[in-house]
Amino acid sequence: MRTARFWPYAAFLCGLAYFIIPLIGMFEFSLRKRRGVYSLDAYTSVLTDPQFQQTFLYSLFMALVAIFIGVLLVVPTAYWVRLRLPKLRPVVEFVTLLPLVIPPVVLAFGYIRLFNTSSVVPFLGSEFGTNILLSCGYVVLALPYMYRAVDTGLRAIDILTLTEAAQGLGASWAAIIFRVILPNVRVAVASGAFLTFAIVIGEYVISALLDRPAFGPYLVWIGSNKAYEPSALAVMTFAITWGCMALIQVITQFSKHTRTPL
Amino acid sequence: MAYLDLLHLEKSFGPNRVVKDFNIGIEQGEFVSLLGPSGCGKTTVLRMVAGFEAPNSGEIRISGVDLVGSRPNQRNIGMVFQSYALFPNLTVAQNVAFGLSVAGMKKAQIAERVAEMLDLIGLADLGQRFPYELSGGQQQRVALARALAVRPKVLLLDEPLSALDAQIRVTLRREIRAIQQRLGITTIFVTHDQEEALSISDRVVVMNGGLADQIGTPFDIYNHPTTRFVAEFVGTLNTFDVVVTDPDTGTVMMGATSLVLNRPVAAPKGGKVTLAMRPEAASLGGAGDLTLTGRVEDVQFLGAIIRIKANVGAHQLTLDIFNRADMPPPAIGSAVPISLSTHSLVVLVK
Repeated sequence: MRTARFWPYAAFLCGLAYFIIPLIGMFEFSLRKRRGVYSLDAYTSVLTDPQFQQTFLYSLFMALVAIFIGVLLVVPTAYWVRLRLPKLRPVVEFVTLLPLVIPPVVLAFGYIRLFNTSSVVPFLGSEFGTNILLSCGYVVLALPYMYRAVDTGLRAIDILTLTEAAQGLGASWAAIIFRVILPNVRVAVASGAFLTFAIVIGEYVISALLDRPAFGPYLVWIGSNKAYEPSALAVMTFAITWGCMALIQVITQFSKHTRTPL
Repeated sequence: MAYLDLLHLEKSFGPNRVVKDFNIGIEQGEFVSLLGPSGCGKTTVLRMVAGFEAPNSGEIRISGVDLVGSRPNQRNIGMVFQSYALFPNLTVAQNVAFGLSVAGMKKAQIAERVAEMLDLIGLADLGQRFPYELSGGQQQRVALARALAVRPKVLLLDEPLSALDAQIRVTLRREIRAIQQRLGITTIFVTHDQEEALSISDRVVVMNGGLADQIGTPFDIYNHPTTRFVAEFVGTLNTFDVVVTDPDTGTVMMGATSLVLNRPVAAPKGGKVTLAMRPEAASLGGAGDLTLTGRVEDVQFLGAIIRIKANVGAHQLTLDIFNRADMPPPAIGSAVPISLSTHSLVVLVK
């Protein structure tokens, strides 16, 4: 009996050590900027760097734009596919998986080729146009996660009956989506949003190729030019990602209507 | 022209014709039940009225205006679903207010109407609860209030009691009928439960294979079924295949026994028809214009009723007699006289 319990715990502890020890090492290293003592100098240096603030705020804004576009694109699509086009679901799922198999560099070069200054739609000719392209790229990168999250949320509710109930009460399609469907999949949307945020914050390839002042290129730049700050940044990035995951849990816990009925 | 006319409705899903030439006129304030087994097309008829399915042909008219072609949200028809379909993210009051809110009604009016509706269903103090905090019966009451709040022209009830336990079903169906009569709202109720349909309806439509087999009052449907399907689907039935010997006097041969029904039979001489008899139409002993001798095979004590199965010749009869404290049920294997009136025998030609 004891042997049976020992091995699962041992495997769990080994796995935990595999992930935790490098993080502890990295965290410990990030505290060693001042010679001979532990300090938060690397964190202070990063946080007071104007480039950090600028790139982080830029990526934060782009993440919000990508989340907004992603929600507007994915929720009605996933809803309509489940409601009216269930046979198309495998096709749509395949399309949403494409960003996982096509490297972002292909997307970035595609954008550059299609939207350069000599094209019919020269998005790359202006900062605003390039930002639009970058946000579209982020939407594409986050699509597999956002679609799956929303689709799973839709699976948990009887969308056909809720839609018919709302229609019978006089609701338009817009009212159904924004007043019935979206509020009932908000936990799923929040999950997709936080995953999008995590992807955007760390994304390098598209933002670097489109030459935008995003947080990903800043991480790479600082990694190749400084010693302790990259570790501090990595720890901070992990903290942000885990914070997002904790927020998903909090939202799930506080979402009253997802509780089991009496 | 009735208030709600369903004229020659047809609906097919692929090669499968699920509703065939369905016709009925429903008067304002009438409560009509569509009764039938699973797959008979009753829910499809309801969904066509609601606008969730488009008929292949036919007309759906309310006060003479054809609704075919108009969207569900333009019809002002309330619907209550088997699964309640309450919006999980909204409170009870918000659910009831939903239809009024999308119609653009002012907040004060909405609050007033919601209070009125919650009072109507007896849940005035539960307005701030979420659906998950209510029992099934309470949720269905809220669904009813939500459907009624928009003052629909017609109320559709799609097996609203099926998900509830037996006791709640009986209570709630009485409440539904009382509310319907109080508001005078034209109602179509879909059910596969004959007791439910017979107990609350002004008229019942018995459906079979996409067709309306019989439309009539519960009394007519039960006592004067016109087809064998209706007779067998609604209530328990004893049937005997007989041969008509004189259609004018209603003389038939049941095996070697000749029976005179004293009324014309719509079948030719030598034609085969079915005689049907309800279990409560016969009695043990007593008087009747026909007395048979049976041997008791089984006795089931059902409380107010005692169900007896007795063999009469080659037939087995099911009899229901009232339970009386001073009259114990007959012993199994005993011979008992069974009397019945020939008026209680229904002739089924179809």
